[in-house]
Order: sequence, then C-alpha cells, then structure tokens
Amino acid sequence: MTDTPTTPNVTDASLYLDGIPHDRFAELRGVPGLVWHPYGDDDTDGGGFWAVARHDEVRQVSRTPEIFSSAIGHTNLWDLEADALEARRSLIDTDAPDHTRLRRLIAVAFTPRNIRRWEDTVRDITAELLDAYIDAGSGDWVAAVAAPLPIRVILTMLGVPIEDADYLVELSNYLVEGTGETQSIPPDAFGNTTELRLLPFNSPASHALFEYGERLGDARRRDPQDDLVTTLVQAEEEGDRLSAAEYRNLFQLLVFAGNETTRTALSHGAMALADHPDQWQRVLDDPEAMMEPATEEVLRWATPVLHMRRTAREDTELAGTPIEAGQKVVMWYASANRDETVFEDPFRFDVGRPDNPHFAFGGGGPHMCLGAFLARLEVKVMLEEMVKRGLVLRRTGEPARAPSNFVHGVLSVDLAVDATVAS
Amino acid sequence: MTGPNEDSGGTVRVTVDQGTCIAGGQCEMLEPDTFLIDDDTAVAGIEGDGWLPRDRAEIVIERCPGRAISIIEE
Repeated sequence: MTDTPTTPNVTDASLYLDGIPHDRFAELRGVPGLVWHPYGDDDTDGGGFWAVARHDEVRQVSRTPEIFSSAIGHTNLWDLEADALEARRSLIDTDAPDHTRLRRLIAVAFTPRNIRRWEDTVRDITAELLDAYIDAGSGDWVAAVAAPLPIRVILTMLGVPIEDADYLVELSNYLVEGTGETQSIPPDAFGNTTELRLLPFNSPASHALFEYGERLGDARRRDPQDDLVTTLVQAEEEGDRLSAAEYRNLFQLLVFAGNETTRTALSHGAMALADHPDQWQRVLDDPEAMMEPATEEVLRWATPVLHMRRTAREDTELAGTPIEAGQKVVMWYASANRDETVFEDPFRFDVGRPDNPHFAFGGGGPHMCLGAFLARLEVKVMLEEMVKRGLVLRRTGEPARAPSNFVHGVLSVDLAVDATVAS
Repeated sequence: MTGPNEDSGGTVRVTVDQGTCIAGGQCEMLEPDTFLIDDDTAVAGIEGDGWLPRDRAEIVIERCPGRAISIIEE
C-alpha cells in the first residue's frame, strides 16, 4: 500500500463545518491512479480505503457491483461487526439478488410515472411553506421550508398521519447526529434496550422509528390503505418477499432518506440562488427553458450525500491501481461532481448547463437513489413556485453546517425575501 | 422511428433483461415511448417494437443502473 504522508485528509468531520474541502479533493483528482487514505485503525473499523475522486472511476465502481460489493463490511467508512451488519442490513447494504428483490418491492412507487401522481401534493405543501416564509419576510430557510417540505411529502406517501410528523422529524434529526461524532440523547432514550451498534446510525432513535413503523404496519395489516406502508406489509405477508427485519430497516431508511437528503438539496439550492442572483434571473426570465437544467444544477451543487463505500470482493484493478480483495473503496460524489474533465468550470453555479451528468443520486449503478425522481420533483416544484411568486432571496447569514463527511447537511441558514411580484 | 435506418446513425432494437432490471426508472424518464416500468412486476417492459435511433439507445443503455438494456443484434 502506498500510505504516503502527503495524502490530503478528507474524512475529518470538522473540516466540513467550513464546507466540502474542495481543494483537497482537487488534489486527490490530480493524482494518477487511486490514493490510499488512512482511516481509523485496522482492528476496530477496518482501517483505510482507496479514495476514488474522479467522475469516471466513481462511475466504474458504482456500475460494477459484482466486484465492488455493498454487502461486505459496511457502506459507511467504518466496518461493522458481522452481527451488527446483519441486524442493520437494508437496501443500501445488499448485493443482487437480495438487493434486486428488496428494490423491486418498493421501486414501483418511485418510477417517474408514479412519482408524477404526487405533483399536486408536493405543490400544495410547497406553496403553503413559501407563502408563510414570504409573510415572515426572513428567517431560517431550513426550518421554514427545506426541512418540512420533503418530510411532509414522504410521510404522506408512507401513510403516516400528519399529527405524527413532528415526532418523526425529531427522530430523523437524531439519526443525522448519528452520522457525526456526537449524539445528544442517551443510549436508553425512547425506551431503547438494544445495543447501539446493532441499530442504524448507532442511534436509539432508530429503536423508536422501528417501534413506530411496526405499529403503523400492524394498523395497515388490519386496515389496508393506498400507501407505501400497506405495500410493504402486504409484501411481508406474502411470505419470503420481505422479512420483519427488512420491513423495519426499510421503513427507517425511507423516513431518513426522504427527510435528510432533499432537505439538503433545497437548502443548498436556496443558498445558491441567493448567492448567484444573475443565475436566478435567468430562471425568472425563461422558466420554461431553464427549469430542467436549473433543477439538475441545484442537485449537482448540493451533492447531499458526499460518499458511499464499496468493498472489493476479489483482487482487481482500477485506474491502474491494484486493489486487494477485502479493501475498502470509497466513491466521493462530492469530488466527482466538481471533476474539471467532465464539468466545464465546475465551481461555477450555472443553471444553463446543457449536459449535467452529476452524481447527486450516486454513480449510476444499481444503488442509484430510490427517491431520485421524487427529489427532482421537489426541487423543480420549489423553483416553479418561487418563480410564480417572483421570489428573490438574499443571504443574511452564514450557514451552520453539519460536522459530517457523509451528508452535506445544512442545520440552519438565515435568508430574507428581497423581492416578490405582488400577486 | 419505427423501422431500421431512418436516420444517419441507423436504428436498433433494444431489449430489457428482466433478471437484472431494478426498476430504477432511467429508461422511462429518457424514452417514455419505448420503456415503461410495469406496476405489477416492477421491471421495465418495451412499449411497441423497441426500435430506437442508435445514439439514443446508447444513452439509455449507459444510464441504466441495472445494466439491463441491450441492443438486439440481428
């Protein structure tokens, strides 16, 4: 292994308090072959990894799941012990054929055609939140718009009663803490008695989400509805299609992923539009032509998930670098989305990019974000409703960022309404 | 685009491997007249006879997350 002392560190979570360390990623992209990145220690978390920083190689890893496994070790940087991996296993940490089976159970609900059925729901929620924000005139965009919008949408799709939304948002926020280095709740919070290492995100909030999901599942078994939880429990009842543990983990994953990632996209999106008024003006001037490229650019700019990890199933080679079976390989989407060989002037926020093959939803392989079309719809509808109101945002403060190398989270950011078209 | 050789790149017939399709939806987004994910089976089916201009077929093949789409060589 080429463990060189000059390897730029990109895993120190505190770095991300100032944003993605793009200069370090540029350095990694400039090194021919792959760079070995030290991490943790070999005994407790499996040690270092190959850092994959260029667009082309992220794509190769993502699209070659036969070699780069999601089921070995973990899909986060640190290894899990075998029992913990098994207890926490979801769609994310499986390979075919388990992955194909689980994915197909739920994928139909997220196809472009079926996601379009939710457009009116998304639009109503967005309109309500934007009108309230405009009335207030200023405030934390995350709390007022970016957080409530996606969580309300996913909970509606799942079939969670609206009066429980605040509770699930609270639980989901604790899970986000679990991706950082500190947790603000004790291990026995919410009556949890499970060892934390066996719970997703090492968080007692996962226990609470499991319990909630099981209660809702029981209710839907008795009284089926037209919602995702009903779809899942019916699959569970059909025998070997979905186990009880798989149901729990999938429910938990949908609540988390449907909440945290789109929140991040909507937060970075609003910040970018406030920071680049010329680009927002282009959208306002010609929304019909600009809506689609602007949506994709917001997604590229935001890159809500910064990386995912795979583990080599066998000895292989990538970019001329030999990789041994069992070694970790980490795809840095945050870097691929600024790859200067793919994106012209990658650090420019440009709502008119004609081609935008970003990896905001992963590198193009079978683990592609399940909610990609839902997230696109939410971003696009937010932009459309902003256009409708002539809403121009101004930045009034620096964002508080999540200390995480995994999610590009914005905890809060103060914006203000600069202008609206009287309607 | 219903028969061979209608444009300079030619047209090709595409097919979906039902075993590896993960219903990712890229094909339905890019070529909604050709691909549709079935609500019951959760795999992409071909609408019509599956002819596409070669350049568009290549894009949808490249974007398919399950690498499930291929050209039928005749």
